Amino acid sequence: MPWPKETKYLGKSTPRAEGPAKVSGRAKFTTDVAPAGVLFGAILRSTWAAARIKSIDLTAAQAAPGIKAALLVHNGEYLTRYYGDELAALAGTSRQAVLDALRLIKVDAEPLPFVVKELDAIKPDAAQVFAGRPNQGNNPARDSGRPDDAFAAAAAVVEGSFATQIELHQSMEPHAYAVSFEGDEMTAWASTQGVFAVRDGYARNLGLPQNKVRVICEHMGGGFGAKSSLSIEGELCAKLAQAAGAPVKLVLTRFEESLATGNRPSSFQKLKLAADKDGKLTAFQMDGFGTPGYMASAPNGGGSNGVALPMPYLYRVPNSRVKQSAVAINAGVACAMRAPAHPPAAYGMEGILDDLAVKLALDPVAIRLLNDPSEVRRHELEVGAEKFGWKAKYQKPGSSPGPVKVGIGCASAAWMSGGRGTQAEAQISSDGTVEIRVGTQDLGTGSRTVVQVVAAEMLGIDPALVTARVGDTRYPPSGGSGGSATTASVSPAIFDLCEKAVEELKKTSGLDDPRGANWKAACAKIGATPLAVTGRWRDGLSTGGAGGVQFAEVEVDTETGFVKLRKILAVHDCGTVVNRLTCESQINGGVIMGIGYALYEQRVMDRRSGVLLNPNFETYKLPGIGDIPAIELLLLDMPERGVIGIGEPCTVPTAAAIANAVANALGVRVPSLPITPDKVLAALGQVPDNGDRAAQVRDLEGAFARVAGAERPILLTETPA
Amino acid sequence: MNAFAYVTAQTPESAIELARDDGRFLAGGMDLLGELKESLAAPKTLVNVKALPGTADVQLDGGKCRLGANVTLAKLAAHPELRRVLPGLTEAAAEVGSPQIRHRATVGGNLAQHSRCWYYRHRDVHCRKKGGTLCYARQGESKFHSLFTGCMCLSPAVSNLAIALAALDARVIVQRGRSTDSLTVAQLYASAWNTPSAHNSLQPGELILRIEIPAPAGLRSAYLQLSEKSDFDWALVSCSAAAKVTGQTLTGVRVVLGAVAPIPWQVDAANAFLEGKPLTDETARRAAELMLRDALPAGDNAYKLPIARALVRRTLLQLVA
Repeated sequence: MPWPKETKYLGKSTPRAEGPAKVSGRAKFTTDVAPAGVLFGAILRSTWAAARIKSIDLTAAQAAPGIKAALLVHNGEYLTRYYGDELAALAGTSRQAVLDALRLIKVDAEPLPFVVKELDAIKPDAAQVFAGRPNQGNNPARDSGRPDDAFAAAAAVVEGSFATQIELHQSMEPHAYAVSFEGDEMTAWASTQGVFAVRDGYARNLGLPQNKVRVICEHMGGGFGAKSSLSIEGELCAKLAQAAGAPVKLVLTRFEESLATGNRPSSFQKLKLAADKDGKLTAFQMDGFGTPGYMASAPNGGGSNGVALPMPYLYRVPNSRVKQSAVAINAGVACAMRAPAHPPAAYGMEGILDDLAVKLALDPVAIRLLNDPSEVRRHELEVGAEKFGWKAKYQKPGSSPGPVKVGIGCASAAWMSGGRGTQAEAQISSDGTVEIRVGTQDLGTGSRTVVQVVAAEMLGIDPALVTARVGDTRYPPSGGSGGSATTASVSPAIFDLCEKAVEELKKTSGLDDPRGANWKAACAKIGATPLAVTGRWRDGLSTGGAGGVQFAEVEVDTETGFVKLRKILAVHDCGTVVNRLTCESQINGGVIMGIGYALYEQRVMDRRSGVLLNPNFETYKLPGIGDIPAIELLLLDMPERGVIGIGEPCTVPTAAAIANAVANALGVRVPSLPITPDKVLAALGQVPDNGDRAAQVRDLEGAFARVAGAERPILLTETPA
Repeated sequence: MNAFAYVTAQTPESAIELARDDGRFLAGGMDLLGELKESLAAPKTLVNVKALPGTADVQLDGGKCRLGANVTLAKLAAHPELRRVLPGLTEAAAEVGSPQIRHRATVGGNLAQHSRCWYYRHRDVHCRKKGGTLCYARQGESKFHSLFTGCMCLSPAVSNLAIALAALDARVIVQRGRSTDSLTVAQLYASAWNTPSAHNSLQPGELILRIEIPAPAGLRSAYLQLSEKSDFDWALVSCSAAAKVTGQTLTGVRVVLGAVAPIPWQVDAANAFLEGKPLTDETARRAAELMLRDALPAGDNAYKLPIARALVRRTLLQLVA
């Protein structure tokens, strides 16, 4: 790859370009946008988990003080299928006016039976989310090789049950839109991972010409996959603006964020893994299911959204049988979330692999070195184990003395990543400053700084001379920020742009090399008309295929079930490191998100009322500063591979590594995430069972049997209380 | 949130008068603002009580501590003398919420706070505490609920200060009409056990003015809690204990468990068992069993039993450490 070997900025640390604006409050997020006469929008949501909506009367709300627009999401009679579903929207002169008026909307609804838990939904007598259609899909098994023969011939076979929770994105900034029409031109400010996707969504859904819609996202507070395209609140915001004839801003609350903006689907995995006597994997079997929300059983079949896990994950097992299905429940739908399907896959596969290592009396690192097909990752395992002090620290499961037990674990990640078409344009002025415009957006990963660093490196100038402008559909197009593709998409376009700039400047200035020390002199020859150049992504500067290995050390109080993290070591490769500071920041964030998945976060639904019980940060628990241990990073800098994104692989193995460390500490496995004190104590046999837990285990076994298509009928007659 | 009037009271009597017509007292607002925003409460008047004279003072003299109701938890947690004399109390304060919350939240507000049950706090669930017919936690998601369930509402008492102050045998001085009453912490909470709609025994228009805590020489106290997170999280179980300690021997012992019942959980038999005995690992274990004798876990919360056992033992052992 043509990236320079000796660098001044590339791979070094440059502070975030927008850092001062953010910490001083000058940075304008969508919620700060205030076009003259802006109205506030808000949404009326279903308070039923399932109901027939017969009519919605907006009259009183429309007549309320300050209300300028009111609209229905659907007309006529229809079914609503989850608590939080959008029913109507209002815009008015103040937030308070709109909230007051929401309470005046009369909804005539007939409540219908519902089901909000996966294990209830798969029972034969469960309420059906879509009438006449089973809640659980029935996908064929995917077989390779001869799994039955291989299990029969194996030296060791282990089985285990692993479950993961519904995780919510919980970006710091909620979904937010502001829309203004002037004549036939529309401007939308959106907190989005894809300004062009939102533009096209508006054009399509509102019947507007694409060239009349401008979407701006100057700064945003995270998205994690939930802000990839135009969402319903964005569409409602624009329709309210049209109806009111005035700009409208619509910012969701934390409560709404929890209900209806996407989530990571749950998983229930029954896994079976076999190896020969040396630990070489020979056979794998999985029966699994999970819920992506209410759409899973919809007639259009388009709702299984990320439930299927890539199993047996990153290992090559010659004989396997994988059967997975999606289960519908009356709850909000899933969407892409940071490394979709990978963290639950890693939790299951890396867990059962550790159980197999224990059975064969093999070291967990050794069994991975034996079975991981990736040379890069095997290297990461070796250097990571060395840095972590794995050999000295590893003890047999459950063997550390005293009530507070120490354990270590490791787990691996794979991610495709890769770059794609991005274009950029620059104006170079006679004072030597450079303005680069690229229509990507800064999801929070530091896109502007990436532009600055690459340009500064290629032009041999101070990054302070480069101003990067992003987040506007009036700039040259770039794709959505998803799949960890942004840096690998943007950097090559800037590289290309800089090459062209140097060629142009050679001609303009007559200098052989206008870069570096000659830059000012070369630019001085530009004159009154700035030099304009464009660049575009090209092959050969970025690749895909990132890996990573993480190591965790924990202590577990066996009297209280409390898990305390001592240390995480994250070893990752991302080819050419563009900006080390923001790259490390990404990995820290990924690890912290993984800690939340491992120990704290979970959406809780209520069986009887159908509501989501924890739509807030009080009981939807995110890791705080006291929960985060020392995080050590080890980055393999491999310029020969080009630029590779890091945003997703870094969150994949954290929970799996922590879960393995807890299992190593305890000598028993906690069979689901998050690993909370109640589950630790239950796994240790310290919680008296009043029958509920036994019933849950029966339900789970019944569910797995159904997925597997067991010959014996599964008769579960219990109904939810 | 509904519109409301806002007034500032200058005397306890006027505060009561101003709140008479559907008013609520506003001190730190940590609990009240949440109820207003979720439309769980819609008072006509908010009576600011932060200006009441002397209510932000801490006095410690003559073996007695007086804490004004408007003392913030941050001030309490950081008070050097109190940290030495009443560590059980200051630790309890330090475990509340986050630094931001502790700088706003007050002693009176922490004691009078309403249920944190996620059914009660949910805008669209009409539970028994809100006048409905069902306690949803009874057959629902009861992970954070009471272990002692012979009551109509499973929402547990989660005031850290109530647990610590009960162990310290404190009195809560309450303005009732034109006079004041002195309540034990048990009295302050008794109604929460008997009446499902009650969060405590305070009637509308009754106001906590101050706390009086006996702090005789030789008194030791401790507070421990176990949460899911290391910081900024509610206790799954909390425990406080206080006693006079001579050598290893305890007298005047009080052990209290929090987050396991609608009231701070006290068991006379456990205190009596420990009285006058040297504290050992074994006596601490026996006391824990006595504390939990009547526990009747709800569906999801039997795990609180081993945690409570561990906390009772560890808290007691801290008294003699």
